[in-house]
Amino acid sequence: MGGSAGTWSNEAIQMEPSGGGGDRELMARLAAGDREALAPLMERHYRRLYRIALSYLRQPDDALDVVQEAFVKAFQSASRWDGSAEAGPWLARITVNLSIDRWRRNRRRAQTFTPLAENDRVQALADLSPAPDRRVQGREAGERVAAALRTLPERQRAVVVLRHYQDMSLEEIAGALGMSLGTVKSSLHRALGRLRLSLAGGRP
Amino acid sequence: MILDHLRHHRRVSLLAAGVLGGAERDETLAHVEGCARCRTELGELRAVVAAMEADPLREAEPPVPLAFLVGRVEREVERTLVPAARPRWWLVALPAAAAVLAVAVLVPSLVARLRPAPEAARAAIPPSEASSLLTEDALARIERNLAREHAARYLSEAGEVLVSVAATGVDCDRADERLDVGRAPERSRELLERRALVQAGGEAVASARGVLDDVEMALREVADLPSCVKRGDVDRLRQEVESRQLLMRIRLMTRELEG
Repeated sequence: MGGSAGTWSNEAIQMEPSGGGGDRELMARLAAGDREALAPLMERHYRRLYRIALSYLRQPDDALDVVQEAFVKAFQSASRWDGSAEAGPWLARITVNLSIDRWRRNRRRAQTFTPLAENDRVQALADLSPAPDRRVQGREAGERVAAALRTLPERQRAVVVLRHYQDMSLEEIAGALGMSLGTVKSSLHRALGRLRLSLAGGRP
Repeated sequence: MILDHLRHHRRVSLLAAGVLGGAERDETLAHVEGCARCRTELGELRAVVAAMEADPLREAEPPVPLAFLVGRVEREVERTLVPAARPRWWLVALPAAAAVLAVAVLVPSLVARLRPAPEAARAAIPPSEASSLLTEDALARIERNLAREHAARYLSEAGEVLVSVAATGVDCDRADERLDVGRAPERSRELLERRALVQAGGEAVASARGVLDDVEMALREVADLPSCVKRGDVDRLRQEVESRQLLMRIRLMTRELEG
């Protein structure tokens, strides 16, 4: 469960490459216009940002574009970065916002979720449980979850992605999305309720 | 009882999400014990959470090496650092109008005054200098730069093609595990037709020969693919590109050629 996973800051420390300098030092160099700081900063964060964008958009090409755009934006906005804040959540916030922008642009092309037939409700939830063939089951469950995630409002989806795909704590999510803790809690509650109904074949 | 249930309703979601702790968690669990509806709901919510945590995307790796992404970001940063300044129209229009007026008034009289006699005009440029306005060295430099620019563009486009194949995740035949590589085979064939022109750059592109040869081999493999490819073939190509560090070498060589 999420509680066992490391927080953003812990993972950032684990990801630190040799000789790259800390996040704060890299951000300070970036703020001073030092482009050489981009590569080590990207090395520390690009995987995680890619996974956030991919979980949100579900398209590798789009996710890669978003990560690229996020680092360009980070370079451009580095001088406005609050030096006391963690760079990880700040980059996550940029990535989530860019993912939402990209999602809006792609919306017309996005598939609409077709609810399952009512009599499939029990089977649908049973299908989400672990099964012997975990690879196939995982992929199928992933596709069903992806379709259900598409039915969520943008910010609710961001909360779910950061919580259940990135194992971020509620406080970290609040920081990354610029929301109050209460709003994060109610968003998560509503989002899970909608997902439950979508996956069970009800109306979200 | 109803009020108690409503109070715990939100907490059941947070319990399933794994973010409820301490006394709230204990209270909610105690409530769920005695509430059949909440037990069902918690079970269903946990199934939803488990499905997300089993989603393979959680562990997905970026489809391109870091070096390639760094190159893309650096190029984009470079491009945004020299934005095309968009002057206000009147800042351009007013001086332009003044200049047109000045030209219309002054030029006819100046031309009449400065126009040399036909013989004098012919003598103004000695024949020896006229034929050497561009020296051979200058011409060679231009040709060399053009050849290198062409090779850089070629490598950059080839890199884009290889990335588009390696990064594809679009199913075209899910049952047969086939992936859509779009126009990549066609673009590879177009690039291979241009290969001879790059080679014609001779010494100017000599340092790029090794990369060009490896790129050519990779492009030939892509050119032979159908647009709907077996996942295994895409994986093999990706591994080959990675083992040869082709994308990083393309990026470095493109930089070198661009000077």
